Amino acid sequence: MNYFSYLFDPTKWAGAGGTGQLLLQHLAYTAAAVAIGALVAIPLGILIGHTGRGGFLVIGISNAARAIPSIGLLVLVVLLTSTGFGPTVLVLAVLALPAILTATAAGISGADPDAVYAARALGMTGGQVVRGVEWPLAVPLVISGVRSATLQVVATATVAAFAAGGGLGQLLISGQRSRDYSQMLAGAVLIAALAIVLDLLVGGLGLLAARRVAPRRTTKDKTVAAAATAHA
Amino acid sequence: MTIKRSLAALGLTITTLVLAACGGGSANPLGSSAPPSGGASSGGGTPIVVGSANFTESQILGEIYAQALKAKGLDASTKPNIGSREVYVKALEDNSIQVVPEYTGNLLLYIDKNATATTSEELASALPTALEKNDLKIGEISKAADQDVYVVTKEFSAKNNLTSLADLKNVSPPVVLGGPSELATRAYGPEGLKGIYGVTLKQFKPYDSPAVKTKDLLDDKIQVGEYFTTESAIADNGFVPLADPQSMILPQNVVPLMRGDVADNPQVKAALDPVQAALTTEELTALNKQVDVDRADPDQVAGDWLKSKGLA
Repeated sequence: MNYFSYLFDPTKWAGAGGTGQLLLQHLAYTAAAVAIGALVAIPLGILIGHTGRGGFLVIGISNAARAIPSIGLLVLVVLLTSTGFGPTVLVLAVLALPAILTATAAGISGADPDAVYAARALGMTGGQVVRGVEWPLAVPLVISGVRSATLQVVATATVAAFAAGGGLGQLLISGQRSRDYSQMLAGAVLIAALAIVLDLLVGGLGLLAARRVAPRRTTKDKTVAAAATAHA
Repeated sequence: MTIKRSLAALGLTITTLVLAACGGGSANPLGSSAPPSGGASSGGGTPIVVGSANFTESQILGEIYAQALKAKGLDASTKPNIGSREVYVKALEDNSIQVVPEYTGNLLLYIDKNATATTSEELASALPTALEKNDLKIGEISKAADQDVYVVTKEFSAKNNLTSLADLKNVSPPVVLGGPSELATRAYGPEGLKGIYGVTLKQFKPYDSPAVKTKDLLDDKIQVGEYFTTESAIADNGFVPLADPQSMILPQNVVPLMRGDVADNPQVKAALDPVQAALTTEELTALNKQVDVDRADPDQVAGDWLKSKGLA
């Protein structure tokens, strides 16, 4: 038996329900869930990190949310609302949220205090401190949060198939139900490959961001850096 | 940290998939056979072991058969959850069990891959001949059947004047069909609907949770759903089963499959024939529901049913 027959069969890739469409669905779920997760988690993380309040809440939420079984939540949400893209993305976004939230809060509150004091001493407002000092310093950590959220979501998006939502999980389920193990293997290999590619992509983004944040030779930065040194 | 988290997520996914797969009720190819025990030979006063397959309905039927045999003074016991057909037919042949509940259509196809029978009558006449070479016999065939069925909602049926698969091709716009994912490759699936009834589907959507499928059928996201006749969702939601005038779907009537010597025992016949006559699809559905939904014990459910029929 050729275990890779399904993966490399061009006829299985084409058309509705084909591997190509399932792959795109999987990507769409992952992208939408991480985007929504980031959209909620980053502002919230900045708020918590900047004010230093609600840290307990962050840890509580993130620990609790990680324990939620995605498949149970998905079936519950689907039965209460309806099947489709929205409810599935919502469930996956819940999974993406804690990783980004904790990373953002940690990044903001962990910004070099000398730099923050210096910025305050220069008369920057709270918003200016966040935009000019804390956020740029936190970006690498935020991206690493997005990275682990992406990995979790890309692996867990397989549950979409349980709610008739397609995605690469469909290959695992259909393959198991009809004992077509080459189909299951195709699903497993593609999900793993997708996870690796996305991880490298987001990781590369993190490197770029880190380089951008690293010492910039603008007068403003020089001033901040000088002020920081003077403070120390 | 990243690696740990992703591993944990992967692990969670795999676990949930495996759990869900095991809960699916489909025949598990890896289901292991229980070690043989029970009587070395059967008939007369020797022990009779009733086996059952790895799904609820088979276990209930196994309990019913065993308790009906006991009520007639025979030394019967059960060996539930043996596994898939491959495993329990082998257990019958090596005499580790003597009786097992079966379904006419799938049993014939298992014994004779080239069988051409399509109606209940053809199955009834083809089965005994096909089983001869394995020295197995069937009992009376019940009118209770657990087979595939296409259903629509009451509203959709009324609006389109739809009660039979033969009318489905006249429904416009074309319908979306929802069913278990393996239906896509079955002869009575989308391909059979097109070939035999001339129905062009808009789409086939695979479902792996019957609850989600029912939800989508009620929400009109799919217009036709594929179920088993003994699923309680059909009656609970007032779904209309579509008739199958061309016999596309193979009938699956409940029948006890037995070793030849056990089947010839008049006491066994006296115990099982009335059970087979009393069983109906509706009652089987209700029994399944008591176990699957209300979490009752199969042996309790079986005993209560036999008492209600005056058979135990």
